[in-house]
Amino acid sequence: MNATAFYFDSSMAQESTEIARGLRRKDPDLLDRLIEQYQHRLLRYLIYLTGRRELAEDLFQETWIRVLERGHQFNDKFAFSTWLFAVARNLAIDHMRRKQPASLDGLMSDDNDEVPFDVPATGQPSAFDMSLRREQTEYIAAGMLHIPAEYREALVLRFQEGMSLDEIATVARVPLGTVKSRIYRGLSALEPWLRGAPL
Amino acid sequence: MNPASNTNRNTAMNNEAHERARRLIALAAPGTLSVADRLSDQPSSNAWLAAHLEICASCRTFAENAAQTIHELRAIPIAADRTLVSATQMNVRLRARELQRHRERLWMVSISCTVVTLCALLSTVALWRGFEWLGARAQLPASVWQVGFLFFGAMPALMVAILLLARDRDRDRDKDRDKNKDRDRDQKNGLHLAHHPGSYQG
Repeated sequence: MNATAFYFDSSMAQESTEIARGLRRKDPDLLDRLIEQYQHRLLRYLIYLTGRRELAEDLFQETWIRVLERGHQFNDKFAFSTWLFAVARNLAIDHMRRKQPASLDGLMSDDNDEVPFDVPATGQPSAFDMSLRREQTEYIAAGMLHIPAEYREALVLRFQEGMSLDEIATVARVPLGTVKSRIYRGLSALEPWLRGAPL
Repeated sequence: MNPASNTNRNTAMNNEAHERARRLIALAAPGTLSVADRLSDQPSSNAWLAAHLEICASCRTFAENAAQTIHELRAIPIAADRTLVSATQMNVRLRARELQRHRERLWMVSISCTVVTLCALLSTVALWRGFEWLGARAQLPASVWQVGFLFFGAMPALMVAILLLARDRDRDRDKDRDKNKDRDRDQKNGLHLAHHPGSYQG
């Protein structure tokens, strides 16, 4: 167990070092590879953060340009994904500040009930199960857009990106206790959405 | 002891216990990566949670719902489409090339500055010696050849300033000439503002 953990830790550190070296050189081939590797994760994070696909796509492009320009600031002691999400988050907040003086709250899309992503059928057993599952996924997807953006962000980073609490605290620049609270409150806020939109 | 306050304390304790249990459930939700995270509060947290879940139906429901919510959360598929990725890669490459060119230009400018500074230093020293020698040969007082040296040193800058001033004056004159030409033309076509009968908005 320890040997496996050590192997993963050292290979991750090596990968981070290589990425940091490439970013300092502004190596376009490395960036191509990173864009391919992190495309879905970054876009998903941005969509949840902003609640709008078009905006998320714009920020996606801006994020990679920023990664190119500020690559020398990446500290290889951290995982690249943590830094990447922090860059994307800062850009999203900058964007909202330009539009209105706000924090992540401004990223809530109150006026838009449309889910910015497609929900395909999941599960195999029966048509009924599939439709029920699909329905629940749709409810949760809709619920995600109705809970505060801070909770949404914490849930995505935790349960979709599988980040540790410390990493989430680094990305969101909040204390560890706040991260824990956000995850708990986010899950509690989503709970009623399992059975459809709450009254 | 007052039975009412006893009941209140029990309710408060129960609420605290539920809150603690739910927080633990949220942090120890299935699929989270770090075991250390789960046990970071207290080593006995998991045992306490298990015991609490055995007796508390509402927290058990919360745990099941949390697991279900996380499962559904992971089932939402979001994918970047190919055009977005290609466009991003192309933009990044273009920007990288631009930055490279900028770096090269900056490098050239800094090299040029260094060379110019070195040349200026060397030529200043040589000129100083030259003026000193000439002054000694012509038996001039030091202040005279030093003023001559200053004048000679300032000559290029003076020349450039004079040329720039001359160019600006030429440009102003050309502008005035163009303005006059336009006015003459407008007057000829009857479009001069002074002769316009009314508003241009209308």
